[in-house]
Amino acid sequence: MAAVRGLTAVALRVVTPWQRSSRLLAASSGPRALREVSSSSPEAGEGQIHLTDSCVQRLLEITEGSEFLRLEVEGGGCSGFQYKFSLDTVINPDDRQGERGGVFEKGGARVVVDSDSLAFVKGAHVDFSQELIRSSFQVLNNPQAQQGCSCGSSFSVKL
Amino acid sequence: GCCQGADSASGATWACFLLGERALVRVRGPDSAPFLLGLLTNELPLPGPAVGEASTSARAGYAHFLNVQGRTLYDVILYGLPERSSEQPTFLLECDSSVVDALQRHLLLHKIRRKVTVEPCPELRVWAVLPCAPGEAGGGGPLRKKAAVCAPVLTRDPRTYRMGWRLLSQDEGSALVPGGRLGDLQDYHRHRYQQGVPEGVHDLPPGVALPLESNLAFMNGISFTKGCYIGQELTARTHHMGVIRKRLFPVQFSGAVPGGGIAPGASVLTESGQAAGKYRAGLGDVGLALLRSEKIKGPLHIRTSESGLVALTASVPDWWPTATK
Repeated sequence: MAAVRGLTAVALRVVTPWQRSSRLLAASSGPRALREVSSSSPEAGEGQIHLTDSCVQRLLEITEGSEFLRLEVEGGGCSGFQYKFSLDTVINPDDRQGERGGVFEKGGARVVVDSDSLAFVKGAHVDFSQELIRSSFQVLNNPQAQQGCSCGSSFSVKL
Repeated sequence: GCCQGADSASGATWACFLLGERALVRVRGPDSAPFLLGLLTNELPLPGPAVGEASTSARAGYAHFLNVQGRTLYDVILYGLPERSSEQPTFLLECDSSVVDALQRHLLLHKIRRKVTVEPCPELRVWAVLPCAPGEAGGGGPLRKKAAVCAPVLTRDPRTYRMGWRLLSQDEGSALVPGGRLGDLQDYHRHRYQQGVPEGVHDLPPGVALPLESNLAFMNGISFTKGCYIGQELTARTHHMGVIRKRLFPVQFSGAVPGGGIAPGASVLTESGQAAGKYRAGLGDVGLALLRSEKIKGPLHIRTSESGLVALTASVPDWWPTATK
């Protein structure tokens, strides 16, 4: 039950579109699948996102096989744009386009952003935040974002 | 009513107004509904099934696009077009023609990866169809029995039954309506202002008008139970905190109105000189003013010059919910 170490009962409800509760509670002690080390990260400093250690650790806990965390930006939501996290296994052509779009790897965990969405989040950090109200992946310190809604999932863009 | 005396001689039942100041944008694609819901104050009008060639099962709705600060950007009448099996969900958005480009840019800015197309729809014109006799507003409506082969969309105006019907057509609207005749656009606007129905950028200045003060709730334009849309936080908070102190009210001038009309933003004062609100827009001797609800009952006036003033009275539309009277 290593996966639930440090989490309160409330925080177990991870706010992402998919339900990982079965993964969280099952003994996930099998060997990790060998992970392809991606060498396609964009040039350092150009159109990058940064993964926090908490994000990396969480992804190592919950991903299996070729799964990675996909971050997309959608229009709409209380402040204009909103972040959407999902687990995916398929990398698309527009996920790898040099400095537009990218596969970001750290410590064996991967976060993938398509080229359209990266324009809205480049320079930001992806974190796994554990708070009383929820535990979830969050986008923090986004240089493009101006103001956000109270729950943190929606933001508006500096013009 | 909005028809002149000549109608009793000609026997016209319906006045058809070509709304040249309204334009249509088409949003189409599998993601149309979630895309629009994230941007609009209201649920979408979902169409009934297509029956043959007639599209009279299109449904209309009303909503505003807000900015992040919760102010109205564009007032739109939404039309949900019936979906034939091979077609994708399609919505038409009717907006003020002076902002049709800005609306498309707003939609495209927020589209990102959604599978939708956004394009103008210049081939369809927007008509308002109003009954000549006021009492018929609640009647069966025009085109009841006709196959309506040439009328893509015919629906009741979703804002209030006082506004009659909306007709979207490539053809001459009055030719489609049995007992219909062309109406003078000025009569349409006068009727709107008398009923207290704001429409377009003069009545609802983008980035200025507040949706609840603009009576969006009275006009069936907002849902307080739907998911996130741009500007929702302030709107929901205002609604739940309780009191809307100012609203757009229909006003009528009783004195002589200066030739150039009354300037938008002119202060409306009570008899004793207290601020009651501001004039917003109008036509001739009728218009709309944003007024404090508690101050509308007594005599009001606007200063037109050093020594001149014009008197006006505000009224409460009878189609508003009774709780406000």
